Amino acid sequence: MIFWEIAKRNIRIHMLRSTLAMLGIVIGVVAIASMGILGNSLVSTVSESLSSVGDSVTVSPYSGGGGGMMGGGGGGGTSVNLKLSDQNFQQIKRAVAPNVAIPVLSTSERMKVGVGSDDIVATIYGVDPQYIPDLKLVLTAGDYNNGNSGCLIGSTFAEDHNIKVGSRISIGSDGEKGTLRVTGIIEERGMSFDLSTDNAIVATQDWFDNTYNRNDYDQIIVKVKEGQDTADVKTIIEKQLNKRDKIVSVMDSKATLATIYSTFGMVTTFVTAIGGISMVVAGVSIFNIMMMSVNERIKEIGIMRSIGTQKKEVMSMFIYEAAIIGVIGSIVGGILSIVAGYLISALMLGSTKYLITMANALSVGEGICFGIVVCLACGIYPAWQAANLNPIDALRHE
Amino acid sequence: MVLLREKEQEVTLTMNEQPVMVFKDVVKVYPLPAGDVTALDDISFQVERGEFISVMGPSGSGKSTLLNLMGCLDTPTSGDISISGTRIRDMSDVELTNLRRDRIGFIFQYFNLFPLLNIIENVTFPMMLKSQKAVDPEKGKEVLRSVQLDDSLFTHTPTEVSGGQQQRVSIARALINDPDILLCDEPTGNLDSKTGAGIMDLMSELNRKGTTIIMVTHDSHIAEYSRRTIRIADGRIVE
Repeated sequence: MIFWEIAKRNIRIHMLRSTLAMLGIVIGVVAIASMGILGNSLVSTVSESLSSVGDSVTVSPYSGGGGGMMGGGGGGGTSVNLKLSDQNFQQIKRAVAPNVAIPVLSTSERMKVGVGSDDIVATIYGVDPQYIPDLKLVLTAGDYNNGNSGCLIGSTFAEDHNIKVGSRISIGSDGEKGTLRVTGIIEERGMSFDLSTDNAIVATQDWFDNTYNRNDYDQIIVKVKEGQDTADVKTIIEKQLNKRDKIVSVMDSKATLATIYSTFGMVTTFVTAIGGISMVVAGVSIFNIMMMSVNERIKEIGIMRSIGTQKKEVMSMFIYEAAIIGVIGSIVGGILSIVAGYLISALMLGSTKYLITMANALSVGEGICFGIVVCLACGIYPAWQAANLNPIDALRHE
Repeated sequence: MVLLREKEQEVTLTMNEQPVMVFKDVVKVYPLPAGDVTALDDISFQVERGEFISVMGPSGSGKSTLLNLMGCLDTPTSGDISISGTRIRDMSDVELTNLRRDRIGFIFQYFNLFPLLNIIENVTFPMMLKSQKAVDPEKGKEVLRSVQLDDSLFTHTPTEVSGGQQQRVSIARALINDPDILLCDEPTGNLDSKTGAGIMDLMSELNRKGTTIIMVTHDSHIAEYSRRTIRIADGRIVE
C-alpha cells in the first residue's frame, strides 16, 4: 500500500535520524535481553551445582538464643561448641525412617601433603563408610574407604595439591594426628547442602572419633527417598526434637533451593529492569523523532486530507514508520544481545554452555517484542496527532 | 424493455441537469475569544455542470472560507450546501473525506505534490485511496498525457520538474478520479505569465470537454478565462 511505501521512503530520506532512533532501540533490546541471558545462565549454573542435593534435609544444632546446647563433645579444632548427641541422632533416625539419617562430623584442620610441604588448611568430614553410597559421592578414581586410615578427597583438593590415589596426608601441623591414605577421588559436586567435598577430605567416622576423641555429631543429613516431600520430613524432625525448646535447626534443601531460585529470579528481574531504563530512553527518542516527522510534514498531511485521505490512513503511515524502526532495531538488538550474552557469560561466569537454552531464547524474544511494543506505543500519539490535524490549518502551514 | 430504457434515460438526464453545487443561505461564523467573526453571511448560489466560474474579492472578503466550504474541508454554521445533490451538513468526517476523494479535484497555488512520490505515483495517489489497493499506472499515464506532460518525466520526482510541469501534474492528480468539480486556488499564482497562460489554456480546454471548474483568483486577467465571475466582499456576494 502507498502509505507503507511513503513510510519506508521517509525513513530512507532521513537515514541518519532513523538509524540513531534504531540504535536507541538496539541498545535497549541488548540491555534487556543480555541481562536476561546473564540471569538465566547464572540460575542454570547454580542449578547444576545444587540440583543433585535437592533431596536432603540437614539437621544442625540450633545456635540462636543460647538454647539447644547438648551433648558434650571434644573440641577437635571446631570453633563453635554446638553438637548433636547420639541420642539426638537416634531420635531423628527413628522419626524419619525409612529415610536414611547420616551422622556427620567435621572440623577444619592443618595438614601436609608430602615431606617439607607447606601447611594446608582443609575441612575433614567423618562419615561411616556404610553411608557413602547414600551420599551419592561419585568417584573419579580409586575406591571407597578401605580401612580405618583410608580417606576420599575432593577433586579440587586433589588437583590443587597434586594428590593421587595412594598419596598420604599428614594431619596436624606436625603430623601429630596421624596420617590418612587417599583411596579415592570424589567427582566435582559444586555447592552443596550436605557435604561440600570439592576441597575437603572424607575420612571414616572411627578415625575421626579416635583422632579427635568425639562421641557427638556436627550435623545429621537425612536423604529423603523418592516420592516423599522434604518439607514433611523437616516438620517431623522439628516436632520430634523441638518440642519444648528449639534445639535443632532443620534445613529443607528443596525449600532452600526454591528460595535461592526466587532470589535469582528477583535479581534477574532487577537487572533486566535496569536494562529497561535504556529502553525507556530509546522510547523517548522514538517519540521525539516521530513528533519531528509529524511537524515537518504538517502541510503534506493537510494535502493528503484535502484530497481524500482518511484519518486512519494518515495514522497508519506514521505507525508504519515507528514499526519499521522498531522491528529493524529490535531484531538487530536481538542478534547483538546473543553476542553480548555470550561475552558476559564467558567473562562473568566463565562458561557459555548455558547460552543456547529455551529461557535465553525467551529473553531474546521478550527483548525484541518489548522493543517493538515500545516503538509502536511511542508512535501512536504522534500518529494520532497527525491524523487529527485540522486539514485547513495543515494546508496553511508553512 | 423500451419503458426501462426510457426510465434510465430520464434518470441520467436528471443527474446531468442537477446543479453540481448549491449554496443556500450559507453562514459561516468563527467563534473567537474577542467575539464571533462572520466570514460568510447568507451566501446563496449554484453551479451548473460544465460551468467555469472564477471567485474574486479582496483579502479578508471570505474567499478562502468559501473555498474551504466548497471543498468540504469545513461545514457551514447555518444554511445548506449540496454537492451533486448530496447535502454535506450532517456528514461525518469519513463521509466528507470520501466526498472530497470521489467528487472534488483540488488544484493549489503551490502545486502541493508529495515529494516522496514520483510523478506517476502522485497522480495515481487518489486512485489508490479510492480502490484501497495497487492501481494500474496506465490511467495515470493517460491523464498525464492529456495535460501535455512528456512521458520521460513520469518517473521523476516533483522537485526534478519545472513549476508549470508540477502544476500540470497537480491538475492530472485532480482529474484522476473523474471528479464533478475542479476547485482551483490561485492556480497560476506561483507561475510566470507565459506558463500561467499555458495552464489556463489547458483548464479552458478541460472545461470545453465538460469539466466544471471553480477558480479563486486575485488576477482579473486569469478570471477572464472563466465564463462567470462571483465577486465577494465582506462575506457577501456583491455581483
